[in-house]
Amino acid sequence: MTEVSVQGEKRNRNAAAEFTRPLLLSPSEDLAGYVMGHLGLTILFLITTTSVAAVFLIFYFVIRESLPFFTTGGGAAILARVREFFTDPGWYPSATEPRYGALALIVGSLYVTAGALVVAVPVGLLAGVFLSDIAPFNLRQICKPVIEILAAIPSVAYGFFAVMVLAPWLQTHLGFSSGTNALNASLILAVMALPTIISVSEDAMTAVGREIREASYGLGATRAETIINVVIPAGHSGILAAVILGMMRAIGETMVVWMASGNASRIPSPWWDLSQSIRTMTATIAGDMGETPKDSEHYYALFTVGLTLLLFTFSLNLLSEYLLGKARAGRGRR
Amino acid sequence: MKTLLRQIQDKGFTTASAGAVLLIAAALLVVLIPMFGRGITAVIFTETVEFRRLQKDLHGRGDNEHLARALADAAAVREPIYTMLREFSEGIDTEPLVKQARDVYQKYGEYLNYHNTPKEQYSDYRKQAKDVRDGLVDALESDDRQTVLDDLDAVLKEKDNPAFADSPAMEFFAMAQRYKKIAETVDLSHRAEYLTNLQEVTAAIRQLLGPLPGEPTPPLWMDQYGATRLDMALKARAALLYDEQWISDGPGKPMVKHIIARKEQFAGTPLEPLFDRVEADWDKLLQPRLRIYWQYFFDDWVNSHYFGGVGPEILGTLLLTLMSMCVAIPLGVISAAYLVEYAGDTVWIKIIRMCINTLAGVPSIVYGLFGLAFFVVTIGAIGKPCILAASLTLSILVLPVIIRASEEAIRAVPQTYREASLALGAGKFRTLVLVTLPAAGPGILTGIILSLSRAAGETAPILFTGVVAMGPIPNFGSPSQWLENPGSLFGWLFQPTRALSYGSYDIAVGDRISMLAPHQQFGMAMTLILLTVALNVAAILIRSRLSRKLRGC
Amino acid sequence: METPETVPLKKTDAGHAARPQQFAQAAVTESSEAVISARQFSFFYGAKCGVDQVSMAIRSGSVTAIIGPSGCGKSTFLRSINRMNDLIPGSRAQGVLAVNGHNVYDKRTNLVNLRQQVGMVFQKPNPFAKSIYDNICYGPRLQGIRSRGRLSEIVEKCLRDAALWDEVKDDLHKSALALSGGQQQRLCIARTLATRPNVVLMDEPCSALDPIATARIEDLIAQLKGAYTIVIVTHNMQQAARVSDETAFFCLGKLIEYDRTEKLFTNPSKKETEDYITGRFG
Repeated sequence: MTEVSVQGEKRNRNAAAEFTRPLLLSPSEDLAGYVMGHLGLTILFLITTTSVAAVFLIFYFVIRESLPFFTTGGGAAILARVREFFTDPGWYPSATEPRYGALALIVGSLYVTAGALVVAVPVGLLAGVFLSDIAPFNLRQICKPVIEILAAIPSVAYGFFAVMVLAPWLQTHLGFSSGTNALNASLILAVMALPTIISVSEDAMTAVGREIREASYGLGATRAETIINVVIPAGHSGILAAVILGMMRAIGETMVVWMASGNASRIPSPWWDLSQSIRTMTATIAGDMGETPKDSEHYYALFTVGLTLLLFTFSLNLLSEYLLGKARAGRGRR
Repeated sequence: MKTLLRQIQDKGFTTASAGAVLLIAAALLVVLIPMFGRGITAVIFTETVEFRRLQKDLHGRGDNEHLARALADAAAVREPIYTMLREFSEGIDTEPLVKQARDVYQKYGEYLNYHNTPKEQYSDYRKQAKDVRDGLVDALESDDRQTVLDDLDAVLKEKDNPAFADSPAMEFFAMAQRYKKIAETVDLSHRAEYLTNLQEVTAAIRQLLGPLPGEPTPPLWMDQYGATRLDMALKARAALLYDEQWISDGPGKPMVKHIIARKEQFAGTPLEPLFDRVEADWDKLLQPRLRIYWQYFFDDWVNSHYFGGVGPEILGTLLLTLMSMCVAIPLGVISAAYLVEYAGDTVWIKIIRMCINTLAGVPSIVYGLFGLAFFVVTIGAIGKPCILAASLTLSILVLPVIIRASEEAIRAVPQTYREASLALGAGKFRTLVLVTLPAAGPGILTGIILSLSRAAGETAPILFTGVVAMGPIPNFGSPSQWLENPGSLFGWLFQPTRALSYGSYDIAVGDRISMLAPHQQFGMAMTLILLTVALNVAAILIRSRLSRKLRGC
Repeated sequence: METPETVPLKKTDAGHAARPQQFAQAAVTESSEAVISARQFSFFYGAKCGVDQVSMAIRSGSVTAIIGPSGCGKSTFLRSINRMNDLIPGSRAQGVLAVNGHNVYDKRTNLVNLRQQVGMVFQKPNPFAKSIYDNICYGPRLQGIRSRGRLSEIVEKCLRDAALWDEVKDDLHKSALALSGGQQQRLCIARTLATRPNVVLMDEPCSALDPIATARIEDLIAQLKGAYTIVIVTHNMQQAARVSDETAFFCLGKLIEYDRTEKLFTNPSKKETEDYITGRFG
């Protein structure tokens, strides 16, 4: 044991009473602290509002560049333009009589998205259940990186795979006339939406407490019954949010659909024929914008497509926020 | 009974969900294996001497003496092949010979003029020469061996005619001599058939060994070299040795692929030994050996990615991502720190959070539109698609990723750390800078690496804001330029660039020449995946170390 | 801070420092030497009252133990002294809590100086994920001490004071997280001493430690007595009896009894106190 006093600093046992540093701020210190504190906070706040500014700028510029599409023809033409845009399936911007009907594009986007979800939702939810309820800890530690790497592969690489590997395979093994079609795009989009669906739904199901599961097991339910009857209903908001987030991922995806969907702007008919080429909103923007002169009607029309897409994902986003908020609130109550 | 059903249901459910995970793992493998398996052949492959010659010519790589020796070895075995080919093609494809005969006749006329031959003698000589020429041409154009031999004998009889002594006309007889040899061995009646096959053989040999001797140098680099890689060489060899024909066995029957050995096609001709020679001398012809072409990641391409590497694409991707990180990291980390440490639960904060979520949900192509409308069109200082516009667009794209990851990391720092620091007399800001942020460092770093990988892989936002498929490497200027004009230090920011992500699109869909070289296509995509997946694996490792540390192991 | 006369602490065989004579019989309340004094001090978390109308004075150089059942407000009171409760959103204080005669809840309190002079040791050892050396230097560096020689001196002195020097002197640049729990807690004490505090607040410093580590911390407290005013919150009554001069008993946010330790444990004046220390409580 050492002594409290050592060389250098010597301390009287009564030193405990001596407060050498003032406990009161001097007026100048007080003022400086006040100013610096508020100034610092204001700067930090302003930096934080960058995201807000970004959102507003995105909306402002996309709207600004798409408005002329509707307004160039004068007041009466606005409605006709809106009707044309949403009901005409013909997208012929470079025809002598250009037509800007985005119906086929909107349908195309929804078509591949639906195709992707048909595959991704059941697989993703089952995988989510596996990770939250079934897999032992060690297996989960292996599965998670696999899913993360699936999410990490860039979309253009998936598109490359679709064109270079999957399309020839479809052509030779399933006898399609063209390997780049709705089926190809949907399959790849499903793989891309999977990580989102899995991780969000897994979170939702993990958040359902252990007690409620134990209650169910205690009543003699099997694991499957517990999951189906208790866990999934309790986590339904989060699971729904997972599906919506997966849908957003698929509908907003550009490179894969551009490369793999065949880019023929028509509504598939018959509707179940996945081997047809289709064209999506995102692929149209990506494909056309490069050859479009600025401030042409075509340019404005492409921005209008972008605005439609933006509003679509924005409302989906609000919906998922609402659902996740509900899921969180439910968790809080419990 | 009921219990059994319930058990089956339970087992079935477990199996289905495990199956789902297996399916996902399988999907990952199905995607990654072909991409890596075929992509790696752009880097590790069996090179040929042609590749070494290419590397020497393009980059001055390799040892001069070794290469010269290798080329000499190759030339030694190539020479007989070329000779055989030339001699045989003279027999089959007589058109050049006919042309040559006419040339010789013309030269002979000039020769006579030059030597001031007397007029009567002149026309006599010309006539004789013309007879010889016509005889030769008849022989060349005839398909019947006997006629040919007779014609040639008639021509050769004129050999000692004093009119032709020491004149260019002597060439007639040399040609006749050579052609006689061919005519004695080759079945001239199948000339037309030989001709098409010969053209295929010649093309295959060009593919295999490069332009034939005496041919003019082709304008494209890709035509100036033979097969540079063993896989391409084998393809060319197959085309050389075997003919693939689709033949229908009868009317209405499907076409069936027949593979016919060229050796049989050319059986009995002087070309027949060529095919055995190619097989026997294969190693010497091309001298294949393993090559690890690590320069692939640094070299520029040649002829639309037919040769070369992805160096400028990697550089462009790095420039774009690093620039965007320069903007996004400070903004993101500060925002996250503010949201965790200072923000209350006010309306403003709710709006900010909502905006961050919205930003995360905006489709990447809309970022591209926004970047075009705002950075490229509206901000006059930028004014055109360039690295700066593209990286600013990317920085907004990754901002929510960084904010969310950093927020989570800062929130995960135990409250006791902050308390310890505050109790030691540090202010709130100092605590943040000295204790909280360093403690959250690995978590923030994980988020940053993930967003780096996201930025590196994104294509749509940079499509209209600064990326090109083919273009010059950004020009950074030189130190002397920087001294002269400090502004030139940032000149590269205002140039467009290539990038791995857009390059992968273009090489797969847009570019025609690269389709001849699939290893180049897969190589580009593999490089992109390698970059992003490596970043992700790094992030996963950092995080697992971090969680081990937090658990106290 | 420096005085010409140095009175080294003497140790008894039991490891306790000799108690200063002049304090032995001093009245507990209303002492002129009170370094911390609370008058009608209350502390609220939102609507919930954590500390209710507490008045007490803590003598300079003494060791004061605060005991009481869980949730009685003892930790809240302790953390109010150097305003660590500020971190909890929606908290507020009423009444006066003075350190050295200055009300710490004054708007113009210099929080930095207050917390440097009223140091704190927490329930769970919380060294920073830095080296031992950097942990100790954290406070001095904040005070602007940059010279390496001076810092090394402080590190050695504080580690000696915290009875840790002999164990770690060869590993000063190793991570503090590699130390055992008891060592970490002594490191935290050393780190607190490095800011040259007058008062050291200890919030159940031994609750996460094993008995041997606890004994070493108690030894350390005994050594530091006199040189520092120490306030220690503990739920361990034996510990309070062993280390403290005075003991305060809190219950439901109220100060029930505050007296010299021997008195409080042998002859408590309040029924609740007696119930608690005899184990008849709760």
